[in-house]
Amino acid sequence: MTQSPTLSRRSQSTAPLQQRPSRRRGADARAGYTFLLPWLLGFIALTVGPMISSLYLSFTNYNLFDPPKWIGLDNYATLFQDERFLQSVGVTLSYVVFGTPLKLAAALAIAMLLNSKRKGQGFYRSAFYAPSLIGASVSIAIVWKAMFGDSGPVDEGLSFFGINLGGWVGNPSMTMPMMILLTVWQFGAPMVIFLAGLKQIPADLYEAASMDGAGPVRKFFNITWPMLSPVIFFNLLMETIHAFQIFASAYIISNGEGGPAGSTLFYTLYLYLRGFSDFRMGYASAMAWLLVIVVGIITLIFFKTSKSWVHYSGDSK
Amino acid sequence: MINRRNFLTTVALGTASAAFLSACGQSSSSSKTGSAENPVTITYTWWGNDDRAERTRKAIALFESKNPDVKVNGNFTDFAGYWQKRATEAAGGGLPDVMQWDLSYLRDYGQRNQLLDLGTVKINTDAFDKSLLPSGQIRGKTYGIPTSTNAFAVYYDPAKLKAMGIAEPDGTWNYKEFNSFLAEVGQKGNGTLFGGTDYTGVWWMFNIWLRQNNIQAFTDEGKLGFSKDDLKKWWNTTAQLRGTSAIVGEDKTTQLLPKSPFGSNVTATEVTWDNFMAGYLGDSGAKELKLVPVPSDNSDNLGLFLKPSMLMVASAKTKYKDAAARFIDFMVNDPEVGQIFKTSRGVPASKTQRDGTTFEGTDKLVVDYEKSIEKYLKDAPEPPIVGFGTLESSFKRVSSDLNYGKLTIDGAADAWFKEAEDLIKQNA
Repeated sequence: MTQSPTLSRRSQSTAPLQQRPSRRRGADARAGYTFLLPWLLGFIALTVGPMISSLYLSFTNYNLFDPPKWIGLDNYATLFQDERFLQSVGVTLSYVVFGTPLKLAAALAIAMLLNSKRKGQGFYRSAFYAPSLIGASVSIAIVWKAMFGDSGPVDEGLSFFGINLGGWVGNPSMTMPMMILLTVWQFGAPMVIFLAGLKQIPADLYEAASMDGAGPVRKFFNITWPMLSPVIFFNLLMETIHAFQIFASAYIISNGEGGPAGSTLFYTLYLYLRGFSDFRMGYASAMAWLLVIVVGIITLIFFKTSKSWVHYSGDSK
Repeated sequence: MINRRNFLTTVALGTASAAFLSACGQSSSSSKTGSAENPVTITYTWWGNDDRAERTRKAIALFESKNPDVKVNGNFTDFAGYWQKRATEAAGGGLPDVMQWDLSYLRDYGQRNQLLDLGTVKINTDAFDKSLLPSGQIRGKTYGIPTSTNAFAVYYDPAKLKAMGIAEPDGTWNYKEFNSFLAEVGQKGNGTLFGGTDYTGVWWMFNIWLRQNNIQAFTDEGKLGFSKDDLKKWWNTTAQLRGTSAIVGEDKTTQLLPKSPFGSNVTATEVTWDNFMAGYLGDSGAKELKLVPVPSDNSDNLGLFLKPSMLMVASAKTKYKDAAARFIDFMVNDPEVGQIFKTSRGVPASKTQRDGTTFEGTDKLVVDYEKSIEKYLKDAPEPPIVGFGTLESSFKRVSSDLNYGKLTIDGAADAWFKEAEDLIKQNA
């Protein structure tokens, strides 16, 4: 992982830095900001600016064409009486709650398999990572739509075992499992991070545990899990945030409508429909800000609870 | 080894970069007229299937050969995605120069000054029926020129009916007879062929039924002209058919998107606009499809009307008004364009174009159908209200929930009325 090089560079450079004259330090800072400038300008113009204007718009009635009309908190108040909004919250929460842990479990399991020394590991690592490179793309969502349709490979395969579910795409109670499978299959990114984390666990810990007669299960819970907990925490946080933002695959699989029967009406998809189909940008902005606030609160809760289960090697405990 | 401080820094950086957004800008050129050596390029966009794309490309090639100083850059999507794209472009001030347009969205964009007043440019409308042109006008300004007209009809596939030993309908039917026809097809279709889609989920069919009962869909003040009970009564029309083989299930319909069940040979009939003929023939590969009038409980009032099937509009911000106007004039008036499109856009609205087109086979069926219902035609419906496109799609969505059994008829009527009243209040 990237921590070690950063760490070593900083510890080397702190000592000479204190001896430098302050004039030199000012020049360093200027150079730093100059190099940062292209990114900073883009960040302000393309991210901070639009975010501030969307915060303003969330208090208005804005249809894209006419000037926005200030309506105070009306948008936020209407949200909670909007059945489609509540439906989209339900759909998104069930996706986050079931999809994220399953994806992380798959990523961790595969990472542990790939961590052992075996011939051709490089090939396997690339092969398992591939789905997440292409998984977010439009074409895969289209392929999944075909795979899970009536008489598609999944339907045929299950029928062979006597399970007749029919097409998943048109069945409101099967679309969520399908979407969760699609996200679980894209376990590549967290897997690579898990793999890097696993490689940093000193082998002597496992050797010592083996000497004491610990089995694989005990080794997992007493060595792997605590040693890996910062990485697990990182992946959990990132994947949760990602899950809240799911849009493209839902948009394609449901033809941009969130169907069938609203079963793929994810939060961001409804936000998009409200904004760009119904021309209610104020309402959509309010939804966007509510999402920012909720994701922020969830992140905060994660950080608070992390103290009890995430172990850092520098800690004395 | 992992150390707390560095690790949290990485997490913070990672989180920030995950939230990173991107946007795209646009460039524009400033020249206004072109020459054969240095042509201007205008953009044109339309909705439709591959069949229409092929025909449009031919028309564009013909236009370019006749107008060497203009190049047309074409682009198309399906109907639903079409309006989301236009909204995004309008917000960014980057609508294409010329666009195929639907009556449902004319007010949304025309009233909000997004479309060019075509009265200010040179487009010849002498060959148009004077009663049709006002459908493209709002408050005295012309925002759209109708390319063609269409009317509602029931499609059926004679070969499929024959194979099942069902007699071809003659189109003089009431709702009860139409329903039993659908049921019979479904019964003999053995689970592979269904009667049709649930026609009560189609806004325009509901509109026609209202007209059959002498009810206006929208009042002159832009309010709803019908009651919740009217809507419930309408959705009750097919209550006995839902969930049976008379109507194809929503689960199937959803999977077939963007193709229709009729175009995919899953149903034997479809109730929709008569200009879909070419598209259905292309999608289904059927040899022949036929058209008959929609059912009505009052045989003197079929509630039918001619509507501009689509209009040609230009962006208010186009830099090439002259090129855009010439392209629109060409698309609506040129007889050769009529030959290319036949009835796939509807029956040509301009007499020059209509007379210059030879209608044979299925195209003749469409023209003959519109002639056959002439005596039933009433005035075109009142111009749809602002936000009508949203109402139309929510009508379809709520009907689909009804077919999934997620809503009762009462619940569906409540849900739609709530959305409609909210929308009308919003745009008031």
